[in-house]
Amino acid sequence: MNRNGATATVLLWGAVLAAAIVTIFPFYWMLNTSLKPASEIFLSPPSFVSRNWSFAAYETLLTLRPFARYFLNSLIVSVGSTLLSVALAALAAYGFTRFHFRGASVLIIFLLFTKMLPETLLIIPYFRLMSELGLLNTYAALIIAYSSFALPFSVWMLIGFFRSIPREIDEAAIVDGATRLVAFFRVVLPLALPGLVAVALFTFLISWNSYVWALVLTTDPQMYVLSVGVANMVGEYRVQWNELMAGAVIAAAPVMVLYALLERHLVSAITAGAVKD
Amino acid sequence: MTCNVKSLARALCLVAIAAPALAQQPITLQWQTANLTEAQYEPIWKQTIAAFEAANPNIRIQPILVARRDHWTKFVAAAQAKQAPCIVSVDLTTAAYDGYLRPLDDLWAKEPADFRAAWSEDMLASARWKGKLYGLPNWGGVYAEIYNREMVEKAGLDASSPPKNWSEYLAWSKKLTGPDHWATAVLGGKTDTTTRVLLTWIYGNGGEPFNADMTESTFAKNARSLEAIKFYLGLFSQEKIASPSPTTTNYLEQTVLFAQGKIATMRNAYWAVAKVVGDNPKMDGKMFAAPLPAQIPNAPTLATVSAHSISSSCPHPEAAWSFIKFDMDKKWALERALKANWMPLRRDLGNEPEIKADPMLAQFVQLGANAKSYPLPHPAWADIAANDIVDAVQKALLEPARLEEIFRELDVKLTKKLKDI
Amino acid sequence: MIRGAKARPWTGHGLARERWHGYLFIAPMLVFLAAVVIAPLGHAFWTSLHRIRGLNASFVGLRNYARVLEEDAFWHALQVSLSFTSISVALHVLLGLGLALALNEIRMARTALRILFLTPWMVAPAIGATIWLWLLEPQFGVVNYLLGQAGLIAAPVAWLGEPRTAFAAVTMVEVWRGVPFVMLLMLAGLQTVPLEQYEAASIDGANARQRFRYVTMPNLRYLLIVASTLDIINVVRHYDIIGVMTAGGPAGATEVLPALLYNTAFRANRFGEAAAIGVLLLLMVLSFSVVYLRVTRIARPDPVT
Repeated sequence: MNRNGATATVLLWGAVLAAAIVTIFPFYWMLNTSLKPASEIFLSPPSFVSRNWSFAAYETLLTLRPFARYFLNSLIVSVGSTLLSVALAALAAYGFTRFHFRGASVLIIFLLFTKMLPETLLIIPYFRLMSELGLLNTYAALIIAYSSFALPFSVWMLIGFFRSIPREIDEAAIVDGATRLVAFFRVVLPLALPGLVAVALFTFLISWNSYVWALVLTTDPQMYVLSVGVANMVGEYRVQWNELMAGAVIAAAPVMVLYALLERHLVSAITAGAVKD
Repeated sequence: MTCNVKSLARALCLVAIAAPALAQQPITLQWQTANLTEAQYEPIWKQTIAAFEAANPNIRIQPILVARRDHWTKFVAAAQAKQAPCIVSVDLTTAAYDGYLRPLDDLWAKEPADFRAAWSEDMLASARWKGKLYGLPNWGGVYAEIYNREMVEKAGLDASSPPKNWSEYLAWSKKLTGPDHWATAVLGGKTDTTTRVLLTWIYGNGGEPFNADMTESTFAKNARSLEAIKFYLGLFSQEKIASPSPTTTNYLEQTVLFAQGKIATMRNAYWAVAKVVGDNPKMDGKMFAAPLPAQIPNAPTLATVSAHSISSSCPHPEAAWSFIKFDMDKKWALERALKANWMPLRRDLGNEPEIKADPMLAQFVQLGANAKSYPLPHPAWADIAANDIVDAVQKALLEPARLEEIFRELDVKLTKKLKDI
Repeated sequence: MIRGAKARPWTGHGLARERWHGYLFIAPMLVFLAAVVIAPLGHAFWTSLHRIRGLNASFVGLRNYARVLEEDAFWHALQVSLSFTSISVALHVLLGLGLALALNEIRMARTALRILFLTPWMVAPAIGATIWLWLLEPQFGVVNYLLGQAGLIAAPVAWLGEPRTAFAAVTMVEVWRGVPFVMLLMLAGLQTVPLEQYEAASIDGANARQRFRYVTMPNLRYLLIVASTLDIINVVRHYDIIGVMTAGGPAGATEVLPALLYNTAFRANRFGEAAAIGVLLLLMVLSFSVVYLRVTRIARPDPVT
C-alpha cells in the first residue's frame, strides 16, 4: 500500500470513528444516567462512570410500575399490526403486479404521500370511529391504526419485489390447475420472503415507537404501551431522569435486538424492492 | 305439569336473587387530572381511592394516568366523542365554554349549609362561568418568594428581614449573584408558569393586564403594568442577576436550579418546597418564604385554583359528586397540604393544628388570603397564557430594546382574541 | 403437481374472472385504507368548513381557510417547515451517502458497525429527543461540559434558548435520527453496482474520484431520488422531536406546520382552523406528488433486458 493509500485508510477510519462516537454517545449517556442514583444526576461536572451504578431504577420500573405489562402490550400490538400489514400489503402488491389497473401507480403514489399528513389531524375522527365501534381500550383499535401507517410504503416496496419474480412461475402453477390464491400462497410468497421480512421490520418499528395514537385510544392502564408508559414519567413538575432513561432503554432494546438478527434480510430486500421499480 | 311449575318457580327464585345483585353491578368512574402523574401526589390519591371504594363498594374509581403535557389533548379527544372521564380537573372556563362540563348547581344546592360555607364567594366565583358553577375548587398554589437561607447568609444579608420592595430586592439580588450562581431565574419557557410569574410582578406594581370585564388587553397600555414588565425582564437583560437561558426556563428548570444552589431565590408556590427537597434532600429546612416584594401596599399575590369538575357526558353524576365530596374531606385536604404541599381552598382549615404546626405552610395560607385567582376567567385563556403571552415574553427577552413595542403588539393581538368568543 | 391444485374445466369466463381476481387481491388493502385514512381525512375536510367551539359547531364555508391564510402564523410555519425539511433532508442524504461509501470500503466489523449506525433510527423519535434534551441542558448537560473542557466555548450555551441555536439543535437531532435510513438504502444500492463497470473504468485509467462520478453516481441516482422522497415524506410530518425539545419556540423559531396544527387544535382549541391547515397541507402534498411522478418518470433507469 502506498503512502496515499495508507493516509486514505486512516482518514476513512477516522471519519467513521468520529461518526460512530456522535451516533452512540447519547445512548451511552442514556445508559449511564439510567444506572445512576437520583442524587448523582445533577452533579456538576457530570460523572461519566459512577461507583454507584445500580439497577435500582430498573427495579422500580418493573416492580412499582407495570412496565412488564406495557412491554407485553407493545409486543402484542406491534406483532399484530405487522402481521395484518404484511398480509394486506402482500395481497395488494400481488394484485398490482399481476393484474392491470389503470391509474394504479398514481393511486399508490397518492397513498404514499398521504403519509405526509400529521397524526394530529387524524386522531379525533379516528377516536370517534373507534368509540362508535366500541373498540376503545382494545388491542384491535391500535392494531388497525398502526397497520395503516406502514401500508402504503409496504405495498410500494413489495410491488418492486414482486415484479422481480417472473410471472412465468405463477403461470406454470396455474396451468397445472392451481387457483390464483393457491399460486400466490404456495409459489410466489415463499420467493418473496426477504421482502416480507423487510416490510415486517419496518411496520414493527413504526408500531413499536408510536405514541399519539396509544395516548388517545387507551384509558385503561392495563392497556398502555411502552411509549405511553415512558411519556407518563415526564411530569411537568418533576422528571425522574434515571427512571425515564431506564424506561427508554427497556423500550429501545427489543427493536435493536430484532434488527441485529434480521439486518441481512433488510438489506437484500431493499436492494430488490427499491432499486428495481 | 308439576315439573314445569317447579322449574318455573326455581327460575323465578333465581331471578329474584339475581336482580338486586344485578342492580348492584359496580359502576366505574374514570378520574383524570394531570396531577395523577406527579410523584408527590401518588401515594395520597391511591389512599383516597382505596378508602372511597371501601366505603362505597358499588363504585369503582379508575384513575387515568397521562403525561401532563398531553392531559388536555387526551381529554378533548375523549370529550369530542362524548366519552370523557366523569371526574376531571381541567381549565374550567375553556372546558365550560366548550360544553365539556356539567353544571353543578343542582348537586351543590342539595348540600348542607355548613359544607357550602367552607368555600368563600370569591373562591366559588372563580369556578363559575356565565353564572353557573362548573367545579368545586379543590386545591391551589399561593405564590411567594422562597429564599435559600445559606446563600442569603453567605452573601452577608439578614434573613430575618427580606426585601419588601423592588429596590431592596435589586440590592439583595446584586449581592446574591456571583461567578457561577445567580439571584433568581426569569421564567420564559413555553408553559403557562411563565405567565403566572409575569402576572405576580404586574400585580406587585398595582398594574392590570386586562380591563375589568376582560374585553381589552392592557399589558402595555396600563403604565404600571408596562413598568413592571420592564423591571422583571430587565433583571435578566439589564441587571444580569438572573440565570441564563430564560426562554427555556420553566417551573422544572427553576426548581432544579434552586435545589442545586444555582439560584438563591425563586418566586413559586408552596409545592416547590417539596419538589426542591425531593431533588436535593440537603435543602430540607434551609429555605424560608416571604411575601413578594411589591411597590404598593397590600399587593395581591397569585393563587392558582384547581377544581374538580364533572364532564357533561358522565352517565353517573351523583356517584361522581359523591367522590368529589369525599375527596374534599378535611382529612385529604390536610394530607395534600402536608405531603404534596397543595394549599387547601376550604377556608375553614386555617386553624387546624397540623397547619399551624408548620410555620411555612401557615405563612402561605395567610398570604393566600390576599390573592388574585388564576387562571383568568376567559375561554381563550389557556391559549393566551401558554402561547401569546409566552411568545411576547420570549421575544422581549431576545430583543430587550423592542420590549414596549412587543407588548403593544401583544395588546392588539389579545384584544382581538378576547372579543372573538 | 402443486398441492391443492385441482384440474379445472375450461369455462370460457377466463378474462372476466381474471379481472375479478385482481380486484379481490387489492380490495382488502383499499377497504382498509378507505376506513382508516380516507374516512378520517374526509371528516377532517368537513370539520374545516365549520367553526368549532368544543361541542358547538356551525357551518362557515371557507372562512377558516381565509383566516388561516391571512394570519402570519401559517406563512411563518410554512417557511420554517421548508427550511427545516430542506436542510435536514440535504444533510440526511449527504451524510448518509458518505457513511455508506465509507462503510462499503471497510471490511472489519462490518455488521457491528452497521447496527451501531442504525440505532438512532430505531429508537422512538420522542425518546431520542428526550435524551438530547438532557444532553443539551445548559447547566447540567454533558455537551456544554465537554465543549467547555475542550475550550470550544467560553460559557455554557443555552442551546434551546436562542432562536438560531434552537433551530440548529433541533435540525441536528433530526439529522442524527434520520441519517441511518438513507445510509441503509445507499448501502443496499452500492451493493448492486455491477463490478464490471468499476473494472472497465479502472482499465480505462479512471482514478477513485472519476470512478465515483462516472460509475457509482449514475447507478445510485434513482435510489437517491427514492431515498430523498421517502425522507421528505417523513420529515415534513415530523413533530415529535420539536414537540419534546422546544414546542415550537423560542418565539416561534422552530414552529413547523405540524406544530402549528397541533397548537391550533389543542392549545387554541380551534379545530376548524386546524383542519383547514391540514387540508392546505394535503393540497401541498398533492402538488408535490404530481411533481414527483414527473421526475421519477424521467429518472427511471433503463429496464434490465
